[in-house]
Amino acid sequence: MTGYPWPIETDTLDNGLRVIVSEDHRAPVVGVNLWYDVGSRHEPAGQTGFAHLFEHLMFEGSAQVGKTEHMKLVQGSGGSLNATTNPDRTNYFESVPAEHLPLMLWLEADRMGGLVPALTQETLDNQREVVKNERRQRYEDQPYGDFWLRLLPLMYPPGHPYHHATIGEMADLNAADLVTFQNFHRRYYVPHNAVLTVVGDTTPDEVFKLARQYFGGIPRGADIPPAPAGRDLSPAGPPRREDVVADVPAARVYLAVATAPFGSADYDVASVLAGVLATGRGSRLYQRLAEGRRLAQPDYLAAYGVDLAHAPAPLILSATARDGVGADELEAGLVDVVDELVRDGVADDEVARVQALMTTSWWRQMETVAGRADALSRYATQFGDPRLAGTRLPARLAVTAAQVSALAAAVLAADRRLTIRYLPEKERP
Amino acid sequence: MTAPLLADRPPAGPPRPYAFPPLVRLPVAGGEVLAAHLPGQPLAEAVLLLDAGAGRERPGAEGAAGVLLKALEEGTATRDATAYAYAMECLGAQLSTHVDWDRVEVGVSAHVDRLLAAVGLLTEAARTPRLDPADVTRVRDDEAAALRMEWAGPGPRADAALRHALFGDQRPGRPIHGDPRSAAALPVAEVRAYHERWFRQPGVLLVVGDLDRLDLEALGAVAFAGTGAPVPAETGLIGAELASTRRILLIDRPDAVQSTLRLGHLGPHRAHPDHVAVQLAGTVLGGSFTSRLNHLLREVRGFTYGVRGEFAASRRFGRFTVRAAVRADATAAALTDAVGEVVRIRAEGVTEDEVAVARSWRAGQLSVESQTTGAIARLLSSIVVHGLPDDFVVRQRERYLAATPGEVAPAAATHLRPDDLVLVVEGDAARIRADLAGTGLGEIVDVPRLT
Repeated sequence: MTGYPWPIETDTLDNGLRVIVSEDHRAPVVGVNLWYDVGSRHEPAGQTGFAHLFEHLMFEGSAQVGKTEHMKLVQGSGGSLNATTNPDRTNYFESVPAEHLPLMLWLEADRMGGLVPALTQETLDNQREVVKNERRQRYEDQPYGDFWLRLLPLMYPPGHPYHHATIGEMADLNAADLVTFQNFHRRYYVPHNAVLTVVGDTTPDEVFKLARQYFGGIPRGADIPPAPAGRDLSPAGPPRREDVVADVPAARVYLAVATAPFGSADYDVASVLAGVLATGRGSRLYQRLAEGRRLAQPDYLAAYGVDLAHAPAPLILSATARDGVGADELEAGLVDVVDELVRDGVADDEVARVQALMTTSWWRQMETVAGRADALSRYATQFGDPRLAGTRLPARLAVTAAQVSALAAAVLAADRRLTIRYLPEKERP
Repeated sequence: MTAPLLADRPPAGPPRPYAFPPLVRLPVAGGEVLAAHLPGQPLAEAVLLLDAGAGRERPGAEGAAGVLLKALEEGTATRDATAYAYAMECLGAQLSTHVDWDRVEVGVSAHVDRLLAAVGLLTEAARTPRLDPADVTRVRDDEAAALRMEWAGPGPRADAALRHALFGDQRPGRPIHGDPRSAAALPVAEVRAYHERWFRQPGVLLVVGDLDRLDLEALGAVAFAGTGAPVPAETGLIGAELASTRRILLIDRPDAVQSTLRLGHLGPHRAHPDHVAVQLAGTVLGGSFTSRLNHLLREVRGFTYGVRGEFAASRRFGRFTVRAAVRADATAAALTDAVGEVVRIRAEGVTEDEVAVARSWRAGQLSVESQTTGAIARLLSSIVVHGLPDDFVVRQRERYLAATPGEVAPAAATHLRPDDLVLVVEGDAARIRADLAGTGLGEIVDVPRLT
């Protein structure tokens, strides 16, 4: 069984650009996806947020594309587009009616090979403000919004590539200068640091030919110094915890541990574990805390892994108190569920339930050309072969209850847990 | 590194033929199945569509539909909540529900071979929920708590203030789920009565997937077994007689680092003949990244992470709304800019370039967004709710592609009314009040904090 039953063809240009094509003519659309192997893990001290701010600059024009023209050309082709930056990587993607494939590849090539001459101080100043607004909107002006900013420095030590958040610090964003971004592009936005994937109503021949035509003239670029290493986390110290008194509507408890890097066998086991804990109404947290003792609000229970590949990735559990339930009581309830899991393990039928839900969710992700293209780019970038995308679902379906129990006992042990609690003003200790 | 390394811009290739999946309509057991065929698709989706939207709620029972939908999974005539959850989730399925002004939907998506079993469970919850008063009370209280969580963030209070300013005491003048206080006071009997009254109708079962592997007759027989008569549709437009005058409604959110803006007035309902032209006018003004509003407020001024404006339309009413979160010190300037763009498009019209981008984008999105069973089910739902023809999607695409500035500009001039705009601002009042007064855009009215 494979989780990727469509054809995959690959090619590598002389300049090192890896090109992947997955042909599928069911709809007259193509998904174009580019992964650059650069994320906030590459940022040195004082330059937090730069990889993400740079992503914004990629939409502001290049050698042959005027400011605002990029978006207009894609939307004027009927396309959707976006980009995201995380600690590991930056991805750019478009879904368009298939007749516009050449234009999409040309736009991507123009900003890979010709961004620097178009980069201006005015653009940088404008996008710096946009990003600062993004930070305010997502992290500062939302109750509990700064959880992720608080978690990373507690989980990863100073100097670790995941120690700081991708959105960056306001002071660093304010200090960002143009030359740094010009150099950032020259170093990281080069063909041998990128993977280009096209999925949908096209053929490998068409894509390989277009890729040569548009990307072939871009110089390979210099070798890239590696990001700081992060696979070995220092052994856990004393239990780490933080209480945050804030203007929040109810107490919330987060419990987090580092598990294993995305792509490892243990990460698959951790994914099943997360599902046993909190996916669906049949999950442990729902049954024990929303039903059962009724300590937590049913809509705000969560357990999820964050799919980071370059260090043990976070597994995060959270619960939000029902009316009249204090943070201490809620935390004790959450800890009871986790302790029980560590002590007694999980049952076969719990694992089967999660695997059924995971199967549906995998195929839902594969429904769109964009979902498939992103998966292929990811496996090529992080594991060297797009075909490995097909192994993820079978690997998760092969996980056994015994493996989940063993991993739970190891990673959720009391001395590995990190706790962040949000307390409403009235619960100030 | 410029020209020699980079190729010239290519033209678009010839358009590929566009087709929407073939539809099948099948009357079964007093109801109707409307299905779309997606050959080779591993997932399938079924949605029970009922004419039971929140527009049906009685005064004092706001949010009854929403609470009912959440209570459906609290046990059925034949199994308790835990057994139900396990049965459904072991099929790889989860119940999804939706309520808007015109409809409720209860849906499942699952592997195509498991869809019939999942629809059996869906029907069990939708038609024969236990609705034990103690369970409904708990779900109601949880809903009130969830609304309190939501209302603690920026946005919901501003949305509610705008609604009330536009629709007054009519049902759309209140949020679809009510507010935290009304939700806490919702009588449990209203929830049970809502089911009794509106969930006996057969409704329509939407099915999307590989129809070669699905038995529509069997799916319909399960979904419609034991149902009663269809319910008569509600008619008549809401709000057409209501006028709004331009004013600033100020909601205090102390220490907010951003201000939430909601600008709006009433607009055309879904069946209005100007629908396509109005949608394109909305797209040019605020409907996409390249819109005038986003260009000015984000790309030129740097006031916001993003701003959108749109005409939304349901069966019985419509409205135009602009939404943004802007940095606090730019609140008044952003508001002035936003109103200025509404005035300008009305006065100056739209260019051929702008309409070209808008029509290609809206038409192209019909292809790009129709790849999933869920997206196609949403289109089928619109076809039923608004009484559209089976070839609606193909025709809509053609109408977008044929639109000209000669149609779009008059639609903007007719349906945008800057003098009627209610301007809701939720932000740090102490910091922004004087600037707002200085805009001269309208009288400032303070909205008291509800919770």
